[in-house]
Amino acid sequence: MSSRKQVKGEYIETDTGNKVSRKANLIGTQHIMLGGKTVIMADAMGSSGAAPQSNTSIFIGRYCFLSRGCCLRPPGRIYKGAFTYMPLRIGDHVFVGENSVVQAATVGSHVHIAANAVVGEFAIVKDYVRILEGTVVPANMVIPSFSVVAGQPGRVIGEVPEGGHEQFEMREMYKTVGNNVPPPAAPAAQAV
Amino acid sequence: MASFTPYTYIQCPCYDLSNQTRHSDGSPSPTSQDLPDDDDEDHAFDPRSPRFNYSLYPLEYLLYCVDCHQIRCPRCVSEELVTIYCPSCLFEVGSSSVKTEGNRCTRSCFQCPICVGPLAVQSLESAPEASLLSVDNAAASGPTGPWALTCSYCNWSSAEVGVKFDKPQGIFAQLSKLRNGSSTGTDVSLTSGDVSPTKRDANIPKPESTRARFSALRTFNQSQLANSNTGSSMAGGIGDYGFSSPAALTRIMSIYSGSTSKPKNKASVMREADVPNEGFRTSNLDESESILKLRAGGYKGTVTMEQAASQVEEGAHFADELWPVASLLRTKRAKRCPACRHILSKPEAKVSNTRWRIRLVAGNHIPSVTIKPLPTPGVPLLSALAPLKPMQYLLTFKNPMFDSIKVTLATPATTPGRFSSKVTILCPQFTVGANSDDYDLNEVLKAEDRDQRDRRREDDGSHQVEAGKVFERGRNWVSIVVEVIPASLQIQPAPSLLQKAGEPEPDLAPLREDEDILEIPMFVRLEWESEPSQDQVGVAPSSKEKDAKEKRELAYWSVLGIGRISQE
Amino acid sequence: MSSSNKRHSMMPRAGQLPKAPVNLSSSVVIHDNAVLTGNHTINISSETVIHPRNKLDSSHGRVTIGRRCIIHERVVIGAPSSDPTKGEFGVTLEDYVTVEVAAVIESGCTTIGEGCLIGVGARIGRGAKLGKFCQHCTITARSVIQPGEQLPDYTVLYSNGTRRTDRRGVTELKNKAQARQIDVMRRLIPTNINRFKE
Repeated sequence: MSSRKQVKGEYIETDTGNKVSRKANLIGTQHIMLGGKTVIMADAMGSSGAAPQSNTSIFIGRYCFLSRGCCLRPPGRIYKGAFTYMPLRIGDHVFVGENSVVQAATVGSHVHIAANAVVGEFAIVKDYVRILEGTVVPANMVIPSFSVVAGQPGRVIGEVPEGGHEQFEMREMYKTVGNNVPPPAAPAAQAV
Repeated sequence: MASFTPYTYIQCPCYDLSNQTRHSDGSPSPTSQDLPDDDDEDHAFDPRSPRFNYSLYPLEYLLYCVDCHQIRCPRCVSEELVTIYCPSCLFEVGSSSVKTEGNRCTRSCFQCPICVGPLAVQSLESAPEASLLSVDNAAASGPTGPWALTCSYCNWSSAEVGVKFDKPQGIFAQLSKLRNGSSTGTDVSLTSGDVSPTKRDANIPKPESTRARFSALRTFNQSQLANSNTGSSMAGGIGDYGFSSPAALTRIMSIYSGSTSKPKNKASVMREADVPNEGFRTSNLDESESILKLRAGGYKGTVTMEQAASQVEEGAHFADELWPVASLLRTKRAKRCPACRHILSKPEAKVSNTRWRIRLVAGNHIPSVTIKPLPTPGVPLLSALAPLKPMQYLLTFKNPMFDSIKVTLATPATTPGRFSSKVTILCPQFTVGANSDDYDLNEVLKAEDRDQRDRRREDDGSHQVEAGKVFERGRNWVSIVVEVIPASLQIQPAPSLLQKAGEPEPDLAPLREDEDILEIPMFVRLEWESEPSQDQVGVAPSSKEKDAKEKRELAYWSVLGIGRISQE
Repeated sequence: MSSSNKRHSMMPRAGQLPKAPVNLSSSVVIHDNAVLTGNHTINISSETVIHPRNKLDSSHGRVTIGRRCIIHERVVIGAPSSDPTKGEFGVTLEDYVTVEVAAVIESGCTTIGEGCLIGVGARIGRGAKLGKFCQHCTITARSVIQPGEQLPDYTVLYSNGTRRTDRRGVTELKNKAQARQIDVMRRLIPTNINRFKE
């Protein structure tokens, strides 16, 4: 993680504990809602620039982590004869890896989306789902809870084991990013 | 080379069945003396040995039985269905309807036969012109049929194989009607008009459809069985029994054992089906049609093995014989200990609920191990290990329990296998502090702060890589150093002078898959004292020991995957 | 790897690079945040929509974009090729092309035919030609098209390299949907084309 060497003051820290990199690309910020304690890294992109029909078009819960170069976008489709953007809802403890593109309708809580993944338009990702690197989740796909998804197109390739639930927890990771981050704590950031 | 993440696998005791049977005698042995530490000492554990296939798991896959005090893995636990549901529409399916309707979703959930992507129902007709240009009156007139299933990923459409639907709901029922030809299917054929000529048999009622054939064959076989039984010399009334009755079994057994008591059985052997209405189908030996099709469609027109295998009904050879695949149901399962039948994990029954009623995971009972290379100043960290160069790794044990544990480690001095690297654990015995059970976040944060301060103080004194000493220590974790000297991956015969006469020929085969990974087998023994568990009904705890702490120990083999050795 | 380094390679800040000579139709919609750079001309025909954070780079050759195209966020059109051999030709996108988020189209006589859909994060190598008559191909997300590759009409490229032919016959429907989508976006995306003209 390159977060440790970042210059001081790179992040804007809000009252609710959000840490947003100054280099992040948020377009249409008035339509993006952060639940608090969410980290948005440099070059991450939330774009709701083209979706102001609803008041808020990207909802992000608590303890989410948007890595470098990822992109969140509300999905759009032709609905009742007109092209409409729908909101993108993201739960708590969601990790979005580098250069991943998320255009889902819903992403549940405790979801890990690895780097270079694509979550297609109107996909519904339930809780405790792990999307592996390079996966392309096709549009409209529903991914049930406790699934491990991989492949192009994405398919469920396994179940999240009972003992793996804690790995989705993002509190530790939240602490590793920020303007004055203490030196890495107990080397438990990446458990076995 | 792909990046390598160090891993730790832990061996479940179930690789050796004798362990389990000893547990099942009812006495919950608190210790793990029956682990292979005594009888396996002479032949060291080799993680690559096929004998240990499927017994090594990452920690998160393991469960822990609190009654047997033993690790349980996905392979040895017994599972019980809690809920059956469709992974696509997330509707729960009753077990009775699974028995009658099969293990696939009977609503409208289908997968693409080409690429396994989800299929969506779409109107084939373009929406009325009026709505295209003016948005206003579009809402009034929705799209109209006919409908087809289309894949949003690879653009496959069921219209390609001539499957169209009259209404966008109840696709499964409509499709099985089309497939099995129980409906007249006329309405479907009328809609054709513009489509490809591939819709040949989809709309004709098919007497030879698989389902019809199956039922014909079944009735035929049943009648045959009844006839042959009554006709045989066996006692009357046996004909009432079905296929799997004990009587039928004994009859079959008597045939196989060749008993001479009923030689007449042979004479009244069952006849095979031989006419179409008995479910008999001659295979079509005239393949000219297929060959023509192959010529026309080429390679692209055929199906892949994977696509053919995913079909519900067998026999698809060409891409236009592929039908949408109804999505397979998925389950939520509870897990039980194989020895004492206690429940190890049990999810909430509702599909949408992600909580667990019981979840006894090994991660709460045995320490997790993380592996990190110890940076040596001046030496850049490489992705691969340089052979014959000592490297130091930091193993961090984190204690999840509320009792402090004493950890004893043991590794063979050299790793097993063809390329044996040297391994030294600098501090094989240490104690890891208890995990505090205050859930107050502030407390935890404070403790962590303290940790950090402690560490910083230690930092000033700079860590010493010293034999017999813990490298670093926190509230509930300890880091120790392990030193490895990776083997060289050169494959060359030893000089014949050094070869002893009796030794077997050295294996000179080229490097096998993953043989370059440095894996260290490590035996871990944990000792701790805990409150005696209350729920042991069988063993009456002697009164004097009531408040005394109970000594426990657990021992298991684990494998540390350190990294790949570079091949030079 | 410093962050500024990465930024450079991915997507340079607006204004950092020379503005390209442009030839824009008055009905084009370009988000202010997009970057048009390079020495050659960038032609964009009517009713095309360009989302924020795009980079149209004409430094390796001219970039031509047809009518009613939609270029989504973070797309790079005219990226330097990974193939080192020289060739100074541009990129042509015909009408009704949709390029989804973070796709990369390399420069070098690359032609994307009418009605093609380039999926999320796909990469089109230099000199690739989608469609014999260059029409209606679908490139699914994260696919890679090698330089010089040619795809016949109505090809669907999926699962990282597998091909099939799209036989839905919904071309017209698709184009109409695209027109409708553009209609909505025109109203939503703040644009000031004059900014991109000199």
